[in-house]
Amino acid sequence: MTQWSDLPGYVSDKDGADMPTVTVERERIREACEYARDQLGFAMCVDVVATDYLEWGGKGVSGYIGTATGRDLNKPMTEGLQALPDPKPKRFSISYHVLGLRQGAPRVRLQCWASDGESVPSVVSVWPTCDWHEREQFDLMGIVFDGHPNLERLLMPEDWEGHPLRKDYPLGGEPVRFSDAV
Amino acid sequence: MADEQQEPITRLRDYGLQSERLLWPTKGPSRFEESLGVEELERALGITTLEKAVRWAQTKSMWPDTFGLACCAIEMMSIVSSRYDLARFGMEAFRSSPRQADLLIVSGRVAHKMAEPLRQIYDQMLEPKWVIAMGVCASSGGMFNNYTILQGVDRIVPVDIYIPFCPPRPEALMEGIIRLHEAHQAGIPPAYERNGVAT
Amino acid sequence: MSTVADKTKIYEGTRIPARVPTILDVPPELRDDEDVLQVNFGPNHPSTHGVLRLIVDLHGEEVVGASAVIGYLHTGFEKTMESKTYWKCVTYPERIDYVGYQNNELVFVLAVEQLLEMNVPTKATWMRMLLCELNRIHSHLIYLGTSALELGAISMFWYCFRERETILDLFELVTGQRMHTRYFQVGGLAEDIPTGFYPEARKFIEWMPHALDDYRGLLDKNQIWLERTVGIGKLSAADAIALGQTGPNLRASGVDWDLRRDAPYLHYDQVDFRVPVYPNGDVYDRYRVRMDEMAESNNIVRQCLDKLERMEGMPWIADDRKVVLPPREELHTSMESLIHHFKIVTEGFRVPAGEIYVAIESPRGESGCYLVSDGGPKPWRVHFRAPSFVALEATATCLRDTMVADLIAVVGSLDAVMGDTDR
Repeated sequence: MTQWSDLPGYVSDKDGADMPTVTVERERIREACEYARDQLGFAMCVDVVATDYLEWGGKGVSGYIGTATGRDLNKPMTEGLQALPDPKPKRFSISYHVLGLRQGAPRVRLQCWASDGESVPSVVSVWPTCDWHEREQFDLMGIVFDGHPNLERLLMPEDWEGHPLRKDYPLGGEPVRFSDAV
Repeated sequence: MADEQQEPITRLRDYGLQSERLLWPTKGPSRFEESLGVEELERALGITTLEKAVRWAQTKSMWPDTFGLACCAIEMMSIVSSRYDLARFGMEAFRSSPRQADLLIVSGRVAHKMAEPLRQIYDQMLEPKWVIAMGVCASSGGMFNNYTILQGVDRIVPVDIYIPFCPPRPEALMEGIIRLHEAHQAGIPPAYERNGVAT
Repeated sequence: MSTVADKTKIYEGTRIPARVPTILDVPPELRDDEDVLQVNFGPNHPSTHGVLRLIVDLHGEEVVGASAVIGYLHTGFEKTMESKTYWKCVTYPERIDYVGYQNNELVFVLAVEQLLEMNVPTKATWMRMLLCELNRIHSHLIYLGTSALELGAISMFWYCFRERETILDLFELVTGQRMHTRYFQVGGLAEDIPTGFYPEARKFIEWMPHALDDYRGLLDKNQIWLERTVGIGKLSAADAIALGQTGPNLRASGVDWDLRRDAPYLHYDQVDFRVPVYPNGDVYDRYRVRMDEMAESNNIVRQCLDKLERMEGMPWIADDRKVVLPPREELHTSMESLIHHFKIVTEGFRVPAGEIYVAIESPRGESGCYLVSDGGPKPWRVHFRAPSFVALEATATCLRDTMVADLIAVVGSLDAVMGDTDR
């Protein structure tokens, strides 16, 4: 088994059903990616995803027993959770899914965490394919990647304001009757 | 002659058939013209108004513009294919240049980034021009009610025919096209004349 | 199996542009040249690729600079799906890659099922495999028809669409819809396989090799086709891996990698099929890979049919009533079924908290779904790894040393669907 603790900036790792998730310090993510590519043989970066965990678990635990603030008779289906999920260290997680092109198709998810406003070193010099992936996550989530040669909006128009995929950005569209029903 | 002063005989040249004027300017009415009245002449010759003839010609070769955006574009390509043959309507020539196209089939979801090119393409088309909003995304935004999809192209261009379904079967698209042909032949003006400038 | 010969010299001799990997910059000696003309191949253009915008610098007929602008079909799938329950979400992924639609459905449904740790009945997985392989043939037919059309082989369009109509008839027989079938459900299939499907499918797979021979006869040794595609738009193996290419684009560059064989999902480890790999990485090789893949998919469909014909009467959806709707007859007699039905329809089933990434081999390459769930009935974050998005990153590299007439050949051979690119 691979010793993930040799990765530069290693914080923790966790096994998952699909692949292990290795958490790395945000400032050293580029060195960790270089190590993964050169020493561990993960030749291809498949995807770069950022997730916004604002108000994670904010729905609270639901049920007809009652929520933390009492039972809301106007909203019996509070869409709440059955158990509070594990709290997350910071607002944004940036996951790099990498793949080794050899027997067994080993995959690993290198993950780092960032708060709003913190920038992440860009890994375009490690895997050139991350160019557009990082641009897309900058466009939609507002995460700034340090050292990216061309960090501009990719999917939204250039003069768009705001980062649509953030949790505090509204879905938009126009109000339709019953559109807030489940 | 007394006959001519009481009942003016309609002449073919009154209907625009001017060949006699050039060959024989002073020629009198022919036996054909003498034997018919005004209504008979129209029926006998199958004279139609210029507008009707022009409308017939326009419907029989209304060339679409290649404006395939998303999934509906694949179904639009399949009406050109041999099973749902669009060439029988004279419409298989999809013109890439909007200046040569008559019909804009907006097939697919229109993002706000694409709305400006769409309006530019519409403006570059020459009158008369028609717009078919193909599919629910073009008609009303479809299943995408969010920050990035225009909720119906009739917000930026005047639309003649809306075709629902997601995506419309090729037969549905052809029904829409045939209805457009029938409407135009019946004299219904294109949408920009009805709505004025697009809202 | 790995063709990454030496890990430390991964990008030696790369043709990827040095400054920005996805933008081909005009070389410095030509920057002030008056003969360099910047042309905009705008979002609406004669080729059938959808709304891709290429800003190209031309020196005479040679392409000296290129960059791709995308986003004209950005639909906000990911944000929209965050506000719908999992059941309603299944209709969205289909519209992402609107040519290989069932593959997107499959990847999302697999992700949800893995988070739920559900067991899906065998009949459903074999049928899913069959439909996805038919969809692969469908997607490659559209690629072939439209690419040939753009390079001037106009009659190929009509031949390919004739076969495509037969495949769509099969889809309609099974699911009721030609495109965007919404047949895969979390737990299995939405309905049982109707009678009459197996003979019709057999007729199709008996005919398909003849159709493929027709296409090969028209194009494989056609002098014009060869001159327009051989040696154009080369992508070396190292560059393809660096640029994240997967699927036919990667296999045409000489890298022997196919997720169906190397990381099998569904029942791909129980069927025999060959993976075509060609060494040169030009447009012609990508064409050959896709032609061979159509023949192999035909084979896989035949093997799936052999298995499925013996599975009459078996269940097509899982039994887990917390996730799957009960059959309607039960609602009249069983109180628990009624409550399950009510809860699933109004609130939606809950998926345990966690994150997962599932990847399959779609006709365009590796299509993946990254799903984060907070334990509620709606996804917290859904992200689709779009193979066309990554394929278009390679346009700048492939357009080195080409002429403007090859531009369309190269972009067509990368087989990018704009819905998949922009999501």
